[in-house]
Amino acid sequence: MEVTMDPLFLAWSYFRRRKLQQCSDICSKILQDSPYDQAAWSLKTRALTEMVYIDEVDVDEEGIAEMILDESSIAQVARPGTSLRLPGTSQGGGPTPAVRPMTQSGRPITGFVRPSTQSGRPGTMEQAIKTPRTASTARPVTSASGRFIRLGTASMLTNPEGPFINLSRINLSKYSQKPSLSRTLFEYIFHHENDVKNALDLAALATEHAQFKDWWWKVQLGKCYYRLGLYREAEKQFRSALNHQEVVDTYLYLTKVYQRMDQPLTSLNLFKQGLDHFPGEVTLLTGIARIHEEMNNISSATEYYKEVLKQDNTHVEAIACIGSNHFYTDQPEIALRFYRRLLQMGVYNCQLYNNLGLCCFYAQQYDMTLSSFERALTLVANDEELADVWYNIGHVAVGIGDLVLAYQCFKLTLAFNNDHAEAYNNLAVLELRKGHIEQSKAFLQTAASLAPHMYEPNYNLSILCEKIGDLQSSYTAAQKSEDAFPEHADTQQLLKQLRQHFAAL
Amino acid sequence: MYNFISLPFSTLPDETMPEVKSTLREVLPKQGQLYMEDVPTMVLCKPKLLPLKSVTLEKLEKMQMEAQEAVKQQELAMKEQVQQMPS
Repeated sequence: MEVTMDPLFLAWSYFRRRKLQQCSDICSKILQDSPYDQAAWSLKTRALTEMVYIDEVDVDEEGIAEMILDESSIAQVARPGTSLRLPGTSQGGGPTPAVRPMTQSGRPITGFVRPSTQSGRPGTMEQAIKTPRTASTARPVTSASGRFIRLGTASMLTNPEGPFINLSRINLSKYSQKPSLSRTLFEYIFHHENDVKNALDLAALATEHAQFKDWWWKVQLGKCYYRLGLYREAEKQFRSALNHQEVVDTYLYLTKVYQRMDQPLTSLNLFKQGLDHFPGEVTLLTGIARIHEEMNNISSATEYYKEVLKQDNTHVEAIACIGSNHFYTDQPEIALRFYRRLLQMGVYNCQLYNNLGLCCFYAQQYDMTLSSFERALTLVANDEELADVWYNIGHVAVGIGDLVLAYQCFKLTLAFNNDHAEAYNNLAVLELRKGHIEQSKAFLQTAASLAPHMYEPNYNLSILCEKIGDLQSSYTAAQKSEDAFPEHADTQQLLKQLRQHFAAL
Repeated sequence: MYNFISLPFSTLPDETMPEVKSTLREVLPKQGQLYMEDVPTMVLCKPKLLPLKSVTLEKLEKMQMEAQEAVKQQELAMKEQVQQMPS
């Protein structure tokens, strides 16, 4: 005779083993038999939440509307070194754009992407609107129309019987008085349904019921305010929560608020306060390093990433950032060691193999170069990645002097990603070498319009125009190049020459 | 006189490696002008290290893909239903 397990216990077991779908199915069955079973109900909400749970600390998606209609920042023209929005103010002596490529927001590319670093912050409205057109870093119009809503509606669609909990019919004040149910319900509303307004109502009622003494509810209130864009209110809640109980997460949320309000120095102070309470806490150290990196202060960012590695020597972000920094400061062999460490740790993806390939090539370990790139090509997930890998293989081809291969690689890059400005620029250089002036000029113009943040296409265009005698176009292109990279000596010299020419006329 | 060639890669391999003959002695002119000319060259964009993705980002992307798939399948099912209805 078969002994059946208690279904609730089985569901718990599934939940602990993260077999969430099975857990949710069993709970649904229990609920069909006895609709008022609170344990099963609570467990099912938790399972559904876990399915779509994302760490809220890491999530930060700024829409165009928030960025342009931003009223929370204090100074429109901030002093250098006090704002995250002035990418050009480098004090750290990091590599110039002549060595290290830039992202669209004018920051040097980093070794690691998180949801918030994905697209940076464009400076002007024009650039902001333009950005989504270059497919890979599409930005939502507002964060309210962003990824969360799309995910929320998708989860609704997949449930043909409708949502598990009908939020419009639920009596929030009843649930807010049951501490054991209210928390799971809140997380379900916040993470699964993405209904911040209802979540806020529930949190407000619950914190009232707890007589404003429960730090957890205050943090949740802060999270809701942050999502709604009410940063000052969020700040108040997080501060008050910290008075009740020192928690690392609360520090992280609070610094996120300050970063959104463009006060990086306040964030840094807060991180340091946090470190007094939690010495050597990795997330806080990482936070400091990220702020330094965003303020273009690469050397102190690296210091802090090294500090992170002293505490946790398997920290992928720290290793990747230090590695990429070494690569762009002309030490590819050291970068190679960092990336090899990642490989040992079990990171296995296209990006890592691509970086290994590049490091191997520039560290003159030619035996590994092509096999790494081959691996990278087999591991790509989408066309943009494929384009980037081919672009880098093109560089290897340039390096060994095989210009036919280089040409083909850059062409392939464009076949996979039609907006790859760097590839256009490099193709233009190759075309000019072949003597195709018109073709080269067309490529350069395309590159310049696709990526106004890069100085290379404009500089090249300026040289080309100067050579064919079109001094006016040369001058305008050189000026654009100067805007993108003011310290570039060759551009300065070219401009000086052109001014002399014009003065002579 | 240093002769800089204006385009990248335009030096041919056989030009760069002249055969050294021991019979030729190096001559450094004591008179005359030595001048160099700096001709601007085109620049290539730099190789791009690809940033690694954080766990959160990977999860977000995976969830988004799955959601899109689910929506697509549901739409397909709807279409099939509509097609079957008249018959």
